[in-house]
Amino acid sequence: MKENIKSIITLTLITLIAGALLGYVYELTKEPIAAKTLEAKLDAYHKVFPEAADFKEDPGIDIGAAKSVLSSAGYPDETIDECLVAVDPSGNALGHVLSVTTAEGYGGDIGVSMGIGKDGMLKGIEILSISETAGLGMKADTSEFKGQFAGKNVSKFSYTKSGAAADYEIDALSGATITTNAMVNAVNAGLEYVGSLAGGADE
Amino acid sequence: MNKAGERLYNGIIKENPTLVLMLGMCPTLAVTTSAINGVGMGLTTTVVLVMSNLLIAMLRKVIPDSVRIPAFIVIIASFVTIVQLLLEAYIPSLYSALGIYIPLIVVNCIILGRAEAYASKNPVIPSIFDGLGMGLGFTLGLTLIGIVREILGAGSVFGYRFLPASMDTLTIFILAPGAFFVLAVLTATMNKIKSRSGKADGPTADCDQLCAGCPNKSCIGRSQNNG
Amino acid sequence: MGKLLAIAIGSAFINNVVLSQFLGICPFLGVSRKVKTAAGMGSAVVFVITLASAVTSLIYKFLLVPFDITYLQTIVFILVIAALVQFVEMFLKKKIKSLYNALGVYLPLITTNCAVLGVALKNVQNSYNILESVVNGFAVSVGFLVAIVIMAGLREKIEYNNVPKAFKGTPIVLVTAGLMAIAFFGFSGLK
Repeated sequence: MKENIKSIITLTLITLIAGALLGYVYELTKEPIAAKTLEAKLDAYHKVFPEAADFKEDPGIDIGAAKSVLSSAGYPDETIDECLVAVDPSGNALGHVLSVTTAEGYGGDIGVSMGIGKDGMLKGIEILSISETAGLGMKADTSEFKGQFAGKNVSKFSYTKSGAAADYEIDALSGATITTNAMVNAVNAGLEYVGSLAGGADE
Repeated sequence: MNKAGERLYNGIIKENPTLVLMLGMCPTLAVTTSAINGVGMGLTTTVVLVMSNLLIAMLRKVIPDSVRIPAFIVIIASFVTIVQLLLEAYIPSLYSALGIYIPLIVVNCIILGRAEAYASKNPVIPSIFDGLGMGLGFTLGLTLIGIVREILGAGSVFGYRFLPASMDTLTIFILAPGAFFVLAVLTATMNKIKSRSGKADGPTADCDQLCAGCPNKSCIGRSQNNG
Repeated sequence: MGKLLAIAIGSAFINNVVLSQFLGICPFLGVSRKVKTAAGMGSAVVFVITLASAVTSLIYKFLLVPFDITYLQTIVFILVIAALVQFVEMFLKKKIKSLYNALGVYLPLITTNCAVLGVALKNVQNSYNILESVVNGFAVSVGFLVAIVIMAGLREKIEYNNVPKAFKGTPIVLVTAGLMAIAFFGFSGLK
């Protein structure tokens, strides 16, 4: 009996110390983790909108309204996580940067950031988070694939398996149609949302 | 100091956890899609292994025998979580590449196995080197498999592509089946080497060995009697 | 309902836990000599994973999230799973003797089956609710059952084949697993 109590006390002590230690490390790493995530996002924004000097929040943009815009446009599985205004050094608006998450990926959510100019030109896209199959879907994160979207002014992309001919066509990743579809839908959702902003606001 | 060298040799060559003992198969197959992932997983596991061996050797006289397995699990799981948080904060690329397989280090046979078989019975310094040796041996195995799969599947080594872009690679080696095939050829080679050297008593890569070699099986059984 | 079905099919076949996620490789290779034992192990895994999915997602939702200690999930989950397995074993031994006789020997092996912890963590990662977690757990483990029974069926035949000496034992089993993984690629068309 005495042995048992001693065992239980020791185990409880170890667990408590372990828990406390974890709590400490968690507090310690909380800030760097948040900073790293933010840094990665800003990095991506600068890549997809190289001309912009800074990214600002626009009080006129209601991200909560995005859901209904997207689902009525046929993108119920996409979410707009953030939409900022890209500004030049003197503070003039150049366009928008967004982060979009799509739930249509093969291996879960894919996070995409994109920059859209005032004229509706898609400046470029970057991938924020992805966990697709290595060697197939993971190829979405190559410049060959992402580059296909950049510098095009179309309202909607679609993918093809027989070689992209028109501006709005994207070559599908071989063996990863699901990933391609998810990426195309994420980008389209972003375009749709920014389009709805421009239409709604009288700029 | 001799003891330390012996421990390192034992872990890296003689009882290499991947190539000889065939432990920790789940990360071995899952994360070795590229050489760099193999190195990352191997080193992450090494850190956990060294830390948990260190602490368990320190506490080996304090922890009562009857609750030793739960205590080991708590210690290992804590270190895994600490390493996971640190990776997320300082090496996010590795963190996202290894994904769910980081927390799964907890159930890697090697770690609980070394805690049970070595650290709980030996002083601190040799236990550290035992962890280091085993960890580096594991890293070696994973890197080797990663290199083979990356060469065949992507035509590159550590991300450096040496095949011309026009040449198609055998993508299947990066996909799940490729992992099984590479490991199959590797174990067949080990079998061949072993049968040539004529040692029948060495640890053979037999199927039952896979689980029997995993000390968890026996220790879970024992902890139950006291549970 | 549609989402539940998608989760079930996705977890059981498309992303088969053994053949594409590599979780639970140890019992998959170790306990697949005979169809009978493989089926026993598989059923025990179905039982434990489904239960563990329910319990861990309850704990996550009502304990870890409210207290903001989700970073403790790994440590809590593994302890819960270990305790759960012991509890199930004790319960079956006392109350349902027949089930205990069928599954009992496999239960202790399951704690270290990384599929159990893997499923619990995946449920959280994919932010499944409790019902979805249970469905996912059940589907994943059914995928495991299907894979291990097929493997055992194949191995019973391989026994009579003339396998090159170096490939006897684990290597030929791994080759078989690789071929099964290719066959399971066929399911990805379902998505």
